[in-house]
Amino acid sequence: MIDCDVHCAPGSWDALHPYVSSAWRRYIENSSHALTNLAVAYPPMMPTTARPDARASGRPTPPTTYDELKETVLDRSNASHVVLNCLAIYEMYRNPYFQAGMARCLNDWMCAEWLDRDERLRASLVVPWTDAAGAVAEVERVGGDPRFVQVLLPVRSDARWGHKANHALYAAAAERGLAIALHAWGPGHAPTPTGFAATYFEDYLSNATVVQHQLLSFIAEGVFEHTPDLRVVLVECGFTWLPSMLWRMDREWKGVWTEIPWVKERPSHYVRQNMRATIEPAHLGTATADEISELVDMIGHEWLMYASDYPHDHGPSAQRLLDALSADDREAVLAGNARTLYLLNGVETA
Amino acid sequence: MSGEVQTVEAQVEESRALTLVDCDIHPMPATRDLIDKHLSDRWRNRVERFGTRTPWTPNYPRPVHRGTRADITVHGPGFGVFLDQVQADVLDTYEVDYGVLILWNFYDREERDLCADGSRASNDWLIEDWLEPEPRLLGSMVVPWEYPELAVREIERRAAEPWWAQVYMMGETLEPLGSRKYWPIYEAATAAGLPVATHPGAYELHLGAGWPSYYFEEHVGYTLGVRRQLLSMVSSGLFEAVPGVRIVVAEGGVMWSVSLRWAVDSAAELLGDELGLDRRPSEYLDGHVWFTTQPVEEPDDEKDYARALAHGNLAGRMLFSSDYPHWDFDSPKQALPRCLDEKTRRRIFAGNASDLYNLPRAR
Repeated sequence: MIDCDVHCAPGSWDALHPYVSSAWRRYIENSSHALTNLAVAYPPMMPTTARPDARASGRPTPPTTYDELKETVLDRSNASHVVLNCLAIYEMYRNPYFQAGMARCLNDWMCAEWLDRDERLRASLVVPWTDAAGAVAEVERVGGDPRFVQVLLPVRSDARWGHKANHALYAAAAERGLAIALHAWGPGHAPTPTGFAATYFEDYLSNATVVQHQLLSFIAEGVFEHTPDLRVVLVECGFTWLPSMLWRMDREWKGVWTEIPWVKERPSHYVRQNMRATIEPAHLGTATADEISELVDMIGHEWLMYASDYPHDHGPSAQRLLDALSADDREAVLAGNARTLYLLNGVETA
Repeated sequence: MSGEVQTVEAQVEESRALTLVDCDIHPMPATRDLIDKHLSDRWRNRVERFGTRTPWTPNYPRPVHRGTRADITVHGPGFGVFLDQVQADVLDTYEVDYGVLILWNFYDREERDLCADGSRASNDWLIEDWLEPEPRLLGSMVVPWEYPELAVREIERRAAEPWWAQVYMMGETLEPLGSRKYWPIYEAATAAGLPVATHPGAYELHLGAGWPSYYFEEHVGYTLGVRRQLLSMVSSGLFEAVPGVRIVVAEGGVMWSVSLRWAVDSAAELLGDELGLDRRPSEYLDGHVWFTTQPVEEPDDEKDYARALAHGNLAGRMLFSSDYPHWDFDSPKQALPRCLDEKTRRRIFAGNASDLYNLPRAR
């Protein structure tokens, strides 16, 4: 089994202290910058924020130390590899220089405090997401470390991720065998065409709306023609929306392909070849086992990768998905698809 | 009026008479002065001198025959069509029993009194140029939805008129459509026996992911704007507050609602006490929301079409539409896959619309 989405976070600025330059330390102190574990996206008392076992352990937040991760996740899982996602970069505002400094800090912290301590661990590297040149520089600095398997970007963005301004980042990532991960939520973005959501319910389900805009953007801007080796993973944004989006995009492309002539194949071709999604949240509602099987047929089981999304809790749907799969397909979703995507063949561990 | 309760048998009997209802035909005006001339003097003079803030041209050029069907002649800067074209190209060619017109509100983003006068002028133009001369056409009433008390006044003033199939609201409102701000509009429309149609129309501010670069993205993205609007309607409790309200999603796609329908139930199970709804959210969608077909998603394997209809409980809530005169027009001869059974085809082509719009009716 390969777990493609487990969260960890710095417990406080103290944990990051050794990795922050003195200049940025003063900036942080002067602005009373506090790390909140993304309290808007994951309100501490919200049922989705922590699974019952995490809550019972008294820690309804992502693990803050390796020992905590080992106790709560690694010792209880038979995963050969776990991909760590730290979303603290979402809390670093929009100053591109501060973002660059904090990306460097978080990546160094990830290596020293987590990756160095367990061979099973892999991680997303973080970048100053408002500045493509700064992002490329950080990929060049640490992207050669094979324990980083992807570059994490917030799915809620200021400008669409497929835009040509970001193509150099994607080329730099692909050159190093790194995927791009678009992860749910973002740094204080209104997630809807009409602005902020009125309820957590809408905010929570809006990740699946925004990710479809991003998928459209990657296709329309020809990212996978420019960088055919690039792989994009959609994390914590669902997947049940995929069939209708593919059907609609292919229909549209037949009519207006002359506007985007660099999109040489049908949109579904690129999505199936270059993109993948993690299975939490599955949000299958009242779908029956037969309907789930039909849905997986429409999507293609090779498109889905297992993730626990620890410590978050999205209900029983992901298990129902796994239960509906044949043994071979289940093995692919639990491990094979991620092994292929992340090139985790056991050879290139650090 | 909605006060009359029909038996299911009676509805079926009636709808047998009809074979084809086209639920989305656009009476695009060739020039804006066709409608402006119905404005009161004060607002017409102002619009002539200062124009409007509401976009008149699209945000993205439509790279296919100016956005319209290749074989028809469109007129003026609005790429418009006239009644005789709709009659010849749609109503006569396909023997359409009824066609439902959907017109933009070109005064949507104006100040209050201009918005209201422009809405009235739009309806007067629809009646004079389209609805009075052609008994097969029904209108979607244009209202100043950002000023709900004025929208209610327009609905009440026109409730007894025979022309209207529904009240129309743009897909990109200033607040999400579940907002209590708009509830008086749903109440007034429901009291008048009219559904409320929402149709995306390129007024989106793209706050979720940022602006697209291409029409391809914008146009497919319409569907995602509607997703947001249905989420808002469900979570706000609209369907409990106005139990008779009927929502028509026009030109917003269809099959994507399968995913939404499942997601709202899962999320409500996890977060239910935030919303305090009495029922599963999917039940509200099933009971209150209809979809026009064009541009329906088209799977490679047509059996997936039938599967998606079943997954989304959609067969009773799909309304055939051609979207004339736009480039992605669907002919009723090819719009539905052959694998659908005859009963389902009849419902989508006419039965569902007959029940929803109370057809046939004297007009």
